[in-house]
Amino acid sequence: MHIPDSFMPLTQGLVYWAIALIFIGLSLRWARKDMSEDRIPLVAVLAAGIFALQSFNLPVSMGTSGHLIGGALAAIVLGSPFAAVFILTLVLIVQGVVFGDGGITTMGANIINMGVIGGFVGFYSFKGLMVATKSMNVSGFAAAWLACLIPALAAAVEMYLAGTFPLQEGLIAVGIYHALIGFIEGFVTIVAIRLILSARPDIVNLGMPMEKRAGA
Amino acid sequence: MEGRTFLLLGIAVALLIGVLAVFFASPDPDGLESAALVVQGEKTLTGSPPENAEIQESPDGKFSYAAPMPDYSLGERLGPLGGVIAIVVGTVLAFALVLGSSKLVRHIRGNRKAKPGQ
Repeated sequence: MHIPDSFMPLTQGLVYWAIALIFIGLSLRWARKDMSEDRIPLVAVLAAGIFALQSFNLPVSMGTSGHLIGGALAAIVLGSPFAAVFILTLVLIVQGVVFGDGGITTMGANIINMGVIGGFVGFYSFKGLMVATKSMNVSGFAAAWLACLIPALAAAVEMYLAGTFPLQEGLIAVGIYHALIGFIEGFVTIVAIRLILSARPDIVNLGMPMEKRAGA
Repeated sequence: MEGRTFLLLGIAVALLIGVLAVFFASPDPDGLESAALVVQGEKTLTGSPPENAEIQESPDGKFSYAAPMPDYSLGERLGPLGGVIAIVVGTVLAFALVLGSSKLVRHIRGNRKAKPGQ
């Protein structure tokens, strides 16, 4: 879902950068106020894991592959959508600057899609679904699926505004592929949450009582 | 699990996933690339892309940047080893950048709290 420089005019890229910088500032405020010392290892390990998982493309049929984005995972485990913005911004900087995966001028758009939209959709749909279903597996899977699909649809709209994709055809293609990639997002997110919970339940913030954390 | 053990185990798992990705990741285009091929008429929505399918990019008036390790590799000469080195470098960089930034933010907070009257 990484938009390259060649897919977007410079001026539009700068507009997305300006919006992204607001959320980056808010994520730094989250880090300053809400990130306790004992959770720093979790934040760093999540960044390394998300980077590695984003490089692992899995086939989803129709000649297409996909990988975890990680916005939902970071936001759910750390209990804030701004955690996703913080981590995804730094991961996207490494990917764009060192590996050319995602552009430099389009990095703001990529941060908005994967960090901001992915983080907010993942976090709030998880919270809402937890109230409705009381199931961590169902809520985590569905939230992660949505946090893959909706940022992708946003990217399709951005591509339309950039003159790169026609709107309807772009939304259909991007939507269908990411509806399938969302199953990878959902499955990996659930597995990762369970692994982290089993290793360090004390530093995970799912926003619910401990006994519900383990229950599916 | 102690913090240090969690940190070491976490980075080891991330590196393992990254190295496995070099050998087992799908070569198919990702969702956005695949959609680009569809809208450009290079592939059908449900079919696989032809071998010579390429995304048509229009770099006119757009920013261009040459990354030091494009496509997570060090060129064809090093092959999969270059891919492994690139992924290890990237994973460690992402880890170190987030760890360093987190510590820096915490340090700034500590300094602000230490100043009287704030």
